[in-house]
Amino acid sequence: MVDNKKLQGEIKKILGRNDVKHVICYSKGTYGFQTTPYFVSKKDDIEKIIFSPLCVNNLSLYVKFDEGTEKIGIVVKGCDSRSLVQMIQEKLIPREKLIIVGIPCNGVIDPKKVRQKIPEELENIDVVEKNDKFIFKRDGKKQKIPKRELVFDKCLVCEYPTPIIYDILVGEKINPLGKDEYKQVKDLESKSLDEKWKFWEKQFSQCIRCYACRNVCPACYCKECMAEQLNPQWLRRSVNLSENTVWNVMHAFHLAGRCTDCGECERVCPMDIPLMLLNKKVEKDVRELFDYLAGVDVDEKPLLAMFKPDDPEEDIK
Amino acid sequence: MPKEFEPNIVAFLCNWCSYAGADLAGTSRIQYPPNVKIIRVMCSGRVNPIFVLNALQEGVDGVIIGGCHPGECHYETGNYLARRRMTVLKKILEYIGINPKRVQMAWISASEGGKFAEVIKTATDEIKKLGPISQIKRRNKW
Repeated sequence: MVDNKKLQGEIKKILGRNDVKHVICYSKGTYGFQTTPYFVSKKDDIEKIIFSPLCVNNLSLYVKFDEGTEKIGIVVKGCDSRSLVQMIQEKLIPREKLIIVGIPCNGVIDPKKVRQKIPEELENIDVVEKNDKFIFKRDGKKQKIPKRELVFDKCLVCEYPTPIIYDILVGEKINPLGKDEYKQVKDLESKSLDEKWKFWEKQFSQCIRCYACRNVCPACYCKECMAEQLNPQWLRRSVNLSENTVWNVMHAFHLAGRCTDCGECERVCPMDIPLMLLNKKVEKDVRELFDYLAGVDVDEKPLLAMFKPDDPEEDIK
Repeated sequence: MPKEFEPNIVAFLCNWCSYAGADLAGTSRIQYPPNVKIIRVMCSGRVNPIFVLNALQEGVDGVIIGGCHPGECHYETGNYLARRRMTVLKKILEYIGINPKRVQMAWISASEGGKFAEVIKTATDEIKKLGPISQIKRRNKW
C-alpha cells in the first residue's frame, strides 16, 4: 500500500521545478468505486492526489498526444510503465520529457468484479489494502473481501508489478506476482474452428464500433486511423459482423508486438467483449514464435519492423 | 446436377519474382487452374494484412501471397517482413475460426514457372475442399 503523503511529497518536489507543465496522477472520483485521472499544475491541489487499489486507469494514455516541449510528470503502476517503455521505444516521446513516478502495485480492483460483490449505488468509498484483503469502509462498517476475488485477471499473473522505468519509486520493489500461462487462450485455442468462430461471432456481433478500445489504447496513436480513412476506405461504416470482425482483427494485428497487456480496452468496452483474449493470444504467439515481449526494453526494435532470417515458416511453400 | 463449387482465389505476386514466375508459366504453356486472379505488387512486403481481409470480405475464398525466396528480395528485406506479418495474421485468423489455409504464402522465383502452377493447383484443391467462405463475407453490397 502506497503512502499517499509520501506520494504527494514527491509530486510537490516535481512541481517545484520550473520546467514541468503538469503531473498526471489520480484523484478521488465523485461516486462509487471510481478514481479519476487528475492533472496537477498548482501546489495548492497537492492534497487531492491519491493512490489506492481503485486507481485502474492507465495514465500513459495522456502523454501520447502531448506535443509541447515542457516536461510532464506521470504516475505509473508496473503495467502502465510498460506502455511508456513501448512509446519511448517507438520514439513517440523522448525519455527526457517524462518524469516518471513509479508505484509498485499489488493489483488493482476490477470495477466489474466489485460491482458483483457490492451492487448498490454508493457515495465515494475508501478502500484499504491489508495483507491479502481489501477493506471497504462504509457507514462506519468494515467489509473485508479477499484480494484474489477482486483484482483484474491480469493482476493475478502480473510479471512486472514494479515499474520497469522510473525516476522516483514510491514504496518498495515487489517480486513478480505470477507467471502468465495463457490458460484461457489455450482453452479457446484447443477448440475446433467452428466452435471458435461461434464464440467470436457472438462477441463481434455485439460490437457497436464506438472505438472506445482504440481511443483508450496507449499504443493507438495514428493521426488517421485506418478505420476512419476514406480514401481508400478499408473498413465500411456499417456496423455488421463482417466489418466488426475485420476491425477487431486489424486492431489486434496492429497491436502485435506492441500491446503491453494493460487491459484498458476490455475495461472500457461498453459491450463487454473479451478483447484481452484476442490481444493475449497475439502476445502469446509472438512470444513463442519470435521470442519477443512488448514494452520491456527501451532499446528493442519493433517486432514487425525487423526479422531474423530463420523466422518460422512452417507452411510457406 | 448442381454445379461444382469453383473457388475464387486472389494472388498477390511480387513484381520481381513471383509475377515473372507466373509469366514464365504462361509462356511455357503450363496448365494451371483459372480460379486465380493475379494482382501485381512491387514486393510481397507491400501486402498489407487489410488487403487480405478486404479480399476475404469481398467474397474471395482464398488468398495467395507470392514473394521472392528468402534472401533474394529485390528490396533485400521485404519478403522477410511480409513473412512475419502473415504468420501473425494467420495465427489470428485461425484463432477466430477462419481456416488459415485460406491465406497461403509461397516463395516463387522468376525461373519457377512449374512451381507457380503447382502452388496454384494445390491451393485451388485445398480451398475447393474448404468450400466458400462464410464467416466474414460482406452481405450488403452498397
